[in-house]
Amino acid sequence: MTTLKRRALLGASMATLAAPQIMAQSKPEKLVYVGDNGPWHWVMVEEVAPAFEKATGIKIDFTLLPVDPWRARLRAELGAGSAGIDVVQWSVGMAGWISPHMEDHEPLLAQMKSRHADFDWDDYLTGTKKAATYDGKLSGIPYRITTGIFHYQKALLEQAGFSQPPGTWDEFLKVALAVNKPPDRYAFGIFGRQGAGMFVGFNPWLYSNGGRLLDFKTGEIFINDAKGVEALQFYADLVTKYKVVPPEAMTWEFDEIVAGGQSDRYAMVQMFAPYGTLINDPKISKTGGKWAWTTVPGPHAKAEGRTWIDGHSLGVPKYTRNKEWSLEFIQMACSRQWQKRAMERGNAPPLRSVLEDPDMIEKIGWPPVAAQAIETGFPTPAYPVWDTLEIQLRSTLSQTLFGQKTAKQALDDLAGDWQRSLRRAGIGR
Amino acid sequence: MNALSGVGSRRSKLVFAGSVYLALIAMTAVFLFPLLWVIGLSLKTRLQVFATPPLFIWWPTLENYVGVLSQADFLQAFVNSLVVSSGAVILSICVGVPAAYAFARFPFRGGSFLFFSLLVMRMLPPIAVLVPMYILFSKLGITTTRFSVILAYSTFSLPLVVWIMRGFFEDLPRELEESAWVDGASRYAAFRHVVLPLIRPGLVAASILSLQLAWNDFLFSAVLTNNATRTLPVLMAGFSGGDTGVDWGGMTASGVLVILPVLIFSFAAQRHLVAGLSSGAVKG
Amino acid sequence: MGGTTTAVRQTGVRTMQGAASGTSGMRRWLDRQFSRIAVLPTTAMMVLIFGIPLLFSLYLSFEGWSPDQALFSGAFAGTANYEDLLTDPQFLKSLSVTFIYTATTVATELAGGLGIALLLNIDLPWIGLFRTALVVPMMITPIVAALCWKLLLDPDHGVVNYWIGSHIVWLGRPDTALISVMVVNLWQNAPYVAVLLLAGLRSLPSEPVEAASIDGASRLQVFWHITLPLLKPYILVALLLRTIFEFRAFDNIYVMTSGGPANATMTLSMFTYLASFVRFDLSLGAAASWLMLLMCLLLCLFFIAVIRRREAN
Repeated sequence: MTTLKRRALLGASMATLAAPQIMAQSKPEKLVYVGDNGPWHWVMVEEVAPAFEKATGIKIDFTLLPVDPWRARLRAELGAGSAGIDVVQWSVGMAGWISPHMEDHEPLLAQMKSRHADFDWDDYLTGTKKAATYDGKLSGIPYRITTGIFHYQKALLEQAGFSQPPGTWDEFLKVALAVNKPPDRYAFGIFGRQGAGMFVGFNPWLYSNGGRLLDFKTGEIFINDAKGVEALQFYADLVTKYKVVPPEAMTWEFDEIVAGGQSDRYAMVQMFAPYGTLINDPKISKTGGKWAWTTVPGPHAKAEGRTWIDGHSLGVPKYTRNKEWSLEFIQMACSRQWQKRAMERGNAPPLRSVLEDPDMIEKIGWPPVAAQAIETGFPTPAYPVWDTLEIQLRSTLSQTLFGQKTAKQALDDLAGDWQRSLRRAGIGR
Repeated sequence: MNALSGVGSRRSKLVFAGSVYLALIAMTAVFLFPLLWVIGLSLKTRLQVFATPPLFIWWPTLENYVGVLSQADFLQAFVNSLVVSSGAVILSICVGVPAAYAFARFPFRGGSFLFFSLLVMRMLPPIAVLVPMYILFSKLGITTTRFSVILAYSTFSLPLVVWIMRGFFEDLPRELEESAWVDGASRYAAFRHVVLPLIRPGLVAASILSLQLAWNDFLFSAVLTNNATRTLPVLMAGFSGGDTGVDWGGMTASGVLVILPVLIFSFAAQRHLVAGLSSGAVKG
Repeated sequence: MGGTTTAVRQTGVRTMQGAASGTSGMRRWLDRQFSRIAVLPTTAMMVLIFGIPLLFSLYLSFEGWSPDQALFSGAFAGTANYEDLLTDPQFLKSLSVTFIYTATTVATELAGGLGIALLLNIDLPWIGLFRTALVVPMMITPIVAALCWKLLLDPDHGVVNYWIGSHIVWLGRPDTALISVMVVNLWQNAPYVAVLLLAGLRSLPSEPVEAASIDGASRLQVFWHITLPLLKPYILVALLLRTIFEFRAFDNIYVMTSGGPANATMTLSMFTYLASFVRFDLSLGAAASWLMLLMCLLLCLFFIAVIRRREAN
């Protein structure tokens, strides 16, 4: 980014913050931000925070943790009513337990609009507004929307004789077997580590096949029905039977799968849409410029492809002493200009105007695919009991991927585990 | 016991000595190599780190250390570790040494039961206590403070201190204190002026072991601190994934800086360590 | 030694003569209560900071699950949590993983430590150097040691794979992951056992060995029939200490595998950690902690009984 452009952004930010008399609260020395450490915070940390500090004199103290410790930290501090966090970054799956601790952001919207004219709540995708709301309460401003799409190296597919990316599972298997060139490059990368990435690696296959997780209200479990079993068996076969997955992918989580793409370990992958920016950037990736995107394939027809939606919101907790300043920072980070800049460095803003910006589409490539996927996607469950169910799912998936159980055995066992956990939580019978 | 004594020709003794040296060198190489390799990684640039085949000879660079030391959060974690460890050591020594003396010299009703339960507490898995301790501390409002960590560590080194010091006190001849008592001194005075000065090696041993326990702990600190108060092991654990997963140079440089203080301290007082370990261990 | 004693005694007495005056009634009572007063702070600390949480944990383990895990808000659930654990396949798997892990690491640490101790016990020139060097791994912070081995075992850039000429993904396969995790603790703690056993070896009486060698016994026979039996108390202490520590090992697993792959390294401590701090199911975590505690207690009592019996013999 040229110095000129950056200066312009800085100037714009300072202009928007040039109404200090509105700030009724005394100025703190710093604001504490707690979030995860995914590979997309660079703009916030390296550009927005310094700009904010320049405009207000307040430093942003970033605590960026891996997924599990991040959840635990928020749960611990917010649960104790601690004033130690000023800006909370939370994801869709946390909505259930975090929303009681957050301010109601609905009235804050009006405040934001009155102070910064270019804040347009209508520009936000409907899906993300819903995701940031739990039990009728808006608990944050959506900052990042993620969905799983299909990334592939166009040239490699063409060399193998495929001018179009696979639309059905059969086609996908054919392509995978054709482009699989072990040990230098495999066909398909996955989130193989028994951790927070397992679920998003698997669920497009589940959802596309018409499978479902469960009904959180009645406690009825669907994951081990015929469709779920079929989906899991197909997914696991990629690793155990067809061996189109790199062996070290079994240790991969978020950073490693991106690094794998950057070092050309696989030709295709299903993962977060915005990661496409990271693997396609020639400055940091060996495969820069070679990627193309499409929605995930469906079992029998492309239109059947379904994927997951997740996202992060920035919110002001009830207990902080610096509510106004936190809101100012959130406003700055979520502003259209900064979100455009963030998108260039790996973020996926939930703003229609940014995602559909022709410049962005030209430069980055995946936004239209993401927008399409979001139309029909399934959001991550936000019920508190999901934490436990997900841990049990991770265990099941890992065992199946190593061929220790067939998909049917594994999912039937999982259904039993889930039944026990639901009973513990008092859901269903 | 000297395996070299006894019957055998001069030559067989030389052969034996030679093979022992060989074995020792091999073992030392195996045990020290991982550490040396990691130190090496900390002195390489990013390109050198990922060179294939791995480089065994290269120009060392200090850029990783400079990078780590110029980061505020490393220095802060270092200070936190220092505060927490010394606090825990001082607390457990001040509280545990008098108790050890009492156990050694003045058996009282319920004393052996108390000592035994202290030992048992030492054997319990810390994670069993961590959850409720965390809840207790959050009710008291001291989670995320260094004080909570000092308290937690003290309860783990306390049984250790008592165990070791009791052994040292039992070794001390009673005549010294007895003559002091005969001269009319109270037990407290006798303890302070006669016994304590003689027990210094034991104190050193107990301190080193408590220090190691406090400095090296990860689990309790991870749960009971936040960013501002976290200790070095928690900072290090942040390297096991995420952005910095690829920064091997920074990771290893931090690691070396973390283990350096305890290494230096332990080497300086090594004799006492062995004495402490064996005394407490066997006589218990 | 005699000179020092008298000197100490004289200074000691002089200082104390000052302290000996004062209200004698109160003083004498305090003096008699010395043991109890000396032991009071220790007892208080352990009870308040250790004992009370422990009891609270017991209470928690009988409480039901509640969405925000506020204290005392869950309904009393009797033994439901324990039943849930004992019927949870992941928990049962963690029992077997812990058992295998503990038995293997302790056995190898003892064997390795004994070997090292025997070598270090030989009075050769420069043996002190080796003694110092081999103690180093013991002092390294466990988290750092785990990271160190994680780098060594990296499939593409690690030195281990370079030397054995392969591309094994050590931490990505259920069979090799457990071994990798064990190697870290073995590396760190065989020296610990060696230090303990070396102290034992050096404190053994030399007469039996000399007598045996004069009688013509070979080095091996001397070791097997004389040294080893004399060393038994030290070996048993090492066994006890190492079992306790390996039973609850956490740092290496947390850093390297987080319990995976496919639960291959899901030990009890990892399971309890996940239950309490990731699933935030505190009552289940409490129940798991208490089961862990009971098992550890039984193990320790068993070992102590064995040691006592040996000493009696």
